[in-house]
Amino acid sequence: MALIETQGLTKHYGPVKALEKLDLAVEPGIIGLVGANGAGKSTLIKILLGVIPPTGGRAVVLGMDVVREASEIRKVVGYMPEHDCLPPDVGATDFVTHMARISGLPRSAARERTAEVLRHVGLYEERYRQIGGYSTGMKQRVKLAQALVHDPKLLLLDEPTNGLDPAGRDEMLDLIKRTGNEFGIAIMVASHLLGEIEQVCGFLVAIDAGHLLSAAPITTFTARTPVLAVEVEEGSDRLAAALVGHGFKARTDGDCVLVAMENEALYDAIRDTVADLALPLVRIQQERRRLEDLFRDPAPVAGNPQ
Amino acid sequence: MTAQLPQNPGPGPDLQGPVGPAPAVAPAQSTSELEPTAAPAPQGAPAIELINAARWYGNVVAVNDLSFSLGAGVTGLLGPNGAGKTTLLHMLAGFLAPSAGTVHVLGRSPNRDPSVYRQIGLVPEREAVYPFLTGFEYVRFNARLQGMRDSDQAARDAILRVGLEDAMDRPIGTYSKGMRQRAKVAGALVHDPQVLLLDEPFNGMDPRQRLAMMELLGQMASAGRTILFSSHILEEVERVGNDILVMVAGRLAASGDYRAIRALMTDRPHTITIRSSDDRRLGWALMADPTVFGVELGTDNLTVKTAQLSAFRRLIAGASRTAGVRLFEVVSGDESLESVFDYLVRR
Repeated sequence: MALIETQGLTKHYGPVKALEKLDLAVEPGIIGLVGANGAGKSTLIKILLGVIPPTGGRAVVLGMDVVREASEIRKVVGYMPEHDCLPPDVGATDFVTHMARISGLPRSAARERTAEVLRHVGLYEERYRQIGGYSTGMKQRVKLAQALVHDPKLLLLDEPTNGLDPAGRDEMLDLIKRTGNEFGIAIMVASHLLGEIEQVCGFLVAIDAGHLLSAAPITTFTARTPVLAVEVEEGSDRLAAALVGHGFKARTDGDCVLVAMENEALYDAIRDTVADLALPLVRIQQERRRLEDLFRDPAPVAGNPQ
Repeated sequence: MTAQLPQNPGPGPDLQGPVGPAPAVAPAQSTSELEPTAAPAPQGAPAIELINAARWYGNVVAVNDLSFSLGAGVTGLLGPNGAGKTTLLHMLAGFLAPSAGTVHVLGRSPNRDPSVYRQIGLVPEREAVYPFLTGFEYVRFNARLQGMRDSDQAARDAILRVGLEDAMDRPIGTYSKGMRQRAKVAGALVHDPQVLLLDEPFNGMDPRQRLAMMELLGQMASAGRTILFSSHILEEVERVGNDILVMVAGRLAASGDYRAIRALMTDRPHTITIRSSDDRRLGWALMADPTVFGVELGTDNLTVKTAQLSAFRRLIAGASRTAGVRLFEVVSGDESLESVFDYLVRR
């Protein structure tokens, strides 16, 4: 069963076309959702939650229709909003228990699940303090905890690392990975940070102006290209010239020399040329495609690296 | 470029001396629409200079004994939440007086000498923009505040630079976060300031807008402007430029080119991971060289530890040729800005 499936999904707000005939099929896993501002990410999330109805087409989440079975969907889907939405004057324990009760858990189960899930996200003694006094990182953890408390099958996370510093980001990304991999919960992460998506997600959905731009495993976007990058501290121009002299296709890019990989003899040629010129060698690495190329090229061509 | 890495975080480490490249003395290049109100900086003064500057709020010390100077170019301001980055930017913008020490922008004190505002642009972190103004009106408003003669034209130019022309006549209240952010940037650079201060400028921008903003900062830096921007996204900072200022708990943890800072961390050996046609043979050959003090065989690679990175880099190609080993991949393990930052914050 597909995790999320949409057919001709369309949403108009008056004259604004937020989603236009979106066809999408996604299997369980950790899925990245990227797109330009205004591309329709938030609209898609709201439709998948059954909060707003589509103008046309249909969407199915875990086999349930978002219009007819909206409340059933919300029982098995957890949602972490992007904006600051926590009540400042209650403790995390009370708040998350309350959210668990709203999701239909009995009182004792709600308490137990809350304790478990707060420990999972890394909130300990501070859980009894008022949320208003929490740091950004702690607030993000509470938001994740309330999304997890009713043991959902699918988590929708909207910019979960927003406002976090590098250490906080790493911890949150780690938490997302653990939640997805160890607990087997499917997760869809909306983010603008492609580096983050690459780090945690196995699958990428990119939408642009309400249309599907691309939906494929991350590895297809970061595949190796037949180009070898050779970085030196100095003398990249001399290195490139020497390699061209040996009959290779090479060009400089700052301190890097990019060489087309034609045959195995290239490796020896690079090693020997660097040694002959006595250059300080920093790096030899096969180039990869980058996720951001998706947003650089007007029309990305899958499977064509250059 | 002088990189600084105070080894002793106690009071009064010697942190003086210019950090950036040559101090900016070049006059602004496109001042055609700018009223000649701004007095030029005193000759030779760095664009930004702090001498033992501190700022406290009651008993909370936000910035503690900070000394550095910056010239033309772009510098990333890094640090964990609560390290004092915003307080520093607000002192530079003249919103806050230092509780102790000196804060100078273009040789003048921003909180006492309003004339320096003509040369400062600030993008605050908070979204303090009037929702009822259109993007164009907001930017023109800033141009007028700066006393510019042709504020309409200046506003249009600035909006073009941030790529907001399609939405310039809509109220800011209808903007997405990335659009509001760009309107703020346009408002900050409308008077073509010599010094641009940005607090988390990439926040809320989508991938395409981020790429465009990185490019814009790079262009302004190469046009001789001094740009200081705070960010938590290290891979982006690394792509905008190599110069960083790192604050930890109100203090300067390091400043300068992050690669030079890395080189100063002599207590951290460099690790290089190599894939080759014969890892064991290569490891044996490298271990014989005095610059290498450790090799470790992995399942399909070889990790080398060295304290002398430059010497090792000159050695590796020749050593593998002598050993008759083919090099497939050579990658540094901990030279990235991310590892440098991690070392600085955890130390």
